[in-house]
Amino acid sequence: MDFTFTHEEEQLRAEVQAFLVEHFTEKVRAENAAGKRGEGWGEAIRDFFEKVNQKLWFAWSWPTEFGGGGGDRTMQFVIEEEFYRYTGITLGGGTGAPSILMFGTAAQKEEFVPRSIKREIIFCQGYSEPGCGTDLAGIRCRAKRVGDKYIITGQKIYTTNAQNATHIYLMVRTDPDSVRHRGLSILLVPMGMPGMTVRPLWTVQNDPPAPFGTTYGEERTNEVFFDDVEVPASCLLGEEGGGWEVARRGLNLDRVGAWRYLISVMRDEDIVNWLHTEGELQDTLRDDPQVRDKIAEMWTEAEVCRLMTMRSISIEQNGGKFTYEGSAEKVFAPEHSVRATEAYSQILGPFAQLMQGSPNAIEKGIFAHNILGAYQSTINHGSVQVMRDQVARIGLGLPRAAKS
Amino acid sequence: MNILLDDQEIQIREAASEFLEGECTPALVRKVETGTLKYSPELWSKFAENGWLQLCLSNKAGGEELPLPYLGLLFEVAGYHIAPIPLHATMVPAMIIDRYGSPEQVSMLQAVIAGELILSHAVAEQTGRWSTEAIAMQGRVEGSELVLNGSKTFVGSFSASQQCLVIYRDASAPNSLGVVLVPTDANGLSSEPLASMAKDGESNVQFKEVRVPLSARIGNAQSGNLIARELMDLSSVLYASLLAGAARRTLDMAVTHAKQREAFGQPIGAFQAIQHLCANMVNAIDGTTMLSREALWRMQENLPYQVNVAQAKSFGNEQCMMVVRSAQQIHGGMGFIRDFDLNLWYRRVGSWSLRGGTAAEHRRTIAAALIDQPQRVRIGLIP
Repeated sequence: MDFTFTHEEEQLRAEVQAFLVEHFTEKVRAENAAGKRGEGWGEAIRDFFEKVNQKLWFAWSWPTEFGGGGGDRTMQFVIEEEFYRYTGITLGGGTGAPSILMFGTAAQKEEFVPRSIKREIIFCQGYSEPGCGTDLAGIRCRAKRVGDKYIITGQKIYTTNAQNATHIYLMVRTDPDSVRHRGLSILLVPMGMPGMTVRPLWTVQNDPPAPFGTTYGEERTNEVFFDDVEVPASCLLGEEGGGWEVARRGLNLDRVGAWRYLISVMRDEDIVNWLHTEGELQDTLRDDPQVRDKIAEMWTEAEVCRLMTMRSISIEQNGGKFTYEGSAEKVFAPEHSVRATEAYSQILGPFAQLMQGSPNAIEKGIFAHNILGAYQSTINHGSVQVMRDQVARIGLGLPRAAKS
Repeated sequence: MNILLDDQEIQIREAASEFLEGECTPALVRKVETGTLKYSPELWSKFAENGWLQLCLSNKAGGEELPLPYLGLLFEVAGYHIAPIPLHATMVPAMIIDRYGSPEQVSMLQAVIAGELILSHAVAEQTGRWSTEAIAMQGRVEGSELVLNGSKTFVGSFSASQQCLVIYRDASAPNSLGVVLVPTDANGLSSEPLASMAKDGESNVQFKEVRVPLSARIGNAQSGNLIARELMDLSSVLYASLLAGAARRTLDMAVTHAKQREAFGQPIGAFQAIQHLCANMVNAIDGTTMLSREALWRMQENLPYQVNVAQAKSFGNEQCMMVVRSAQQIHGGMGFIRDFDLNLWYRRVGSWSLRGGTAAEHRRTIAAALIDQPQRVRIGLIP
């Protein structure tokens, strides 16, 4: 049992902080925001990414043979945390590259991993469909094997960042006669293939846009349509029909880590730091026993979120055998975020409804935008209801309900 | 950083579990509840013989000097088995004496390790508040003696103990607290038993001109405030460890029951309403466990820990109560039947969650650390 970061880890943290202050300039920040909106990456941010790559920070714990840092998971967490706090950028390549490292062929690793690290390859995640979300066993999007090709037909939804992605990490049904988990496969499909259409779905954060740091502040997600899209069979990741296992492992990694933790706890820091500032409202609230009690309660929950993240990093550091812990964290952290956001808005009163750009908005309206965003985290990447099922069944061995 | 238990920690925990699994049955717990001693001398002796009391005491006291988190693990196990022994009452003052006591006082710990000396500690007074400000017990220096006047309440295992570590306020320096060891048979001391839900022998204790030599003080006039606060924090956090352990047991009982009990044609554990209660219980217990272990870890490492203790106990109070209440819900009617064992755990968690500081009291500490200072805060970094 060891709850503290080593001297070396703290030194790295300080180094990353100093690096970001120096190199993530306002110009880079603006270009990053433009890039996220789909307006392309500018010179300054390319230059910034290049500098980050020289440090190997994008993929600190990935194997060196594919351009990673070969370092340990805790250090990667430290880098990820500082990056997300300062830039909003998530490192580590999302679901794509880590899962290719686990299940890909030598050629796929060679093709995807180094370029993912350089951000030349960006994956979006093609899981959800209009007819299925957290229960991926209901996937209907089909890929039919014809010779050395797959022909894909169907639709994906809530495909965030599809507008910027170079590839989609696509879950399809390769065996048309299969049911539930069997017969699913993962294909690594380049975006923009003939027959593919990306259509924006604007979120509630669309107007006005959310300020930096909002929990689920994304203004856009997407629908992706596949109309007899032909891709080479070499796009298959892992075995045909083995997609469930591939995705299941990846999802645990997706549900824990620096990003998940930070989007759940940043308002807890914001409210306290805002109370430190001058102002009539701040003066009243600082001394209100009920406000103080609620903030302390929420802070404690946020500390539990931190400890659950530490637990996940410890598990990964020990080889990555999760049982229920990833699912449990995916219940506690998002629900904390909702409880805290709603509690703080009750503390701030009508000011908390004011969005970015409004007169009298507190901290650029982040509390209002969080009311619009926090609950999204209880839905995305596996709803908290299904996560509870998993804690109960996998963690406690409770039985499945009988079909009535 | 790796917050999972290492091999040695797992080994010690399993050994303690195995010991109590064999020695501490619900039947024993019931027998002790209805007896007059309010603890089992046989179990206490065996517990001492097996070396559990010396685990975290220093080498100079005759102990094994394992880090404090081991004591937390031991308390989790003791809570899991609701061991009817004065473990909390004794180990909190023992650790304080070990750290701050004179060589003569430290040498007394050999008798603690042997199971021959039971200690208690007296903090709260008539207001019941868990705060250093609420301490009014007067300590007056007369020559080479300290004279104590006042009253203490909620003193755990007082009647079982031979020495009680008492926090008092210095009559000549009202901002100074002191900590002193008082023999429980001292002249002018009287006590009456309280009847708490836990049925584990808490007492009211009256001090009328109780005289002890000044050498019975732990530390000196300058260190009293610090030692008093540390005593209270250690007491609080070890209650959180007990809570986590007891709550985990009720989860295990509830899960076992939910797999067996059938309703509407299937085990009730197959219903999501039950499963989701259980998932909430898991997070509540894990949260309490991790918070309390971290607080003990920080104590061991000489890092600031008061906020961590307050977090562990405030979270543990409410969340573990939710766990045992949910276990009751899952058990249905049998849960509140006297002869069914679940209530043994439920009643203890009920009492423990009210001792060593309530949620509101501990949150005052947390809020002050966050709000009443100018520095920017960050989760995990308390300024």
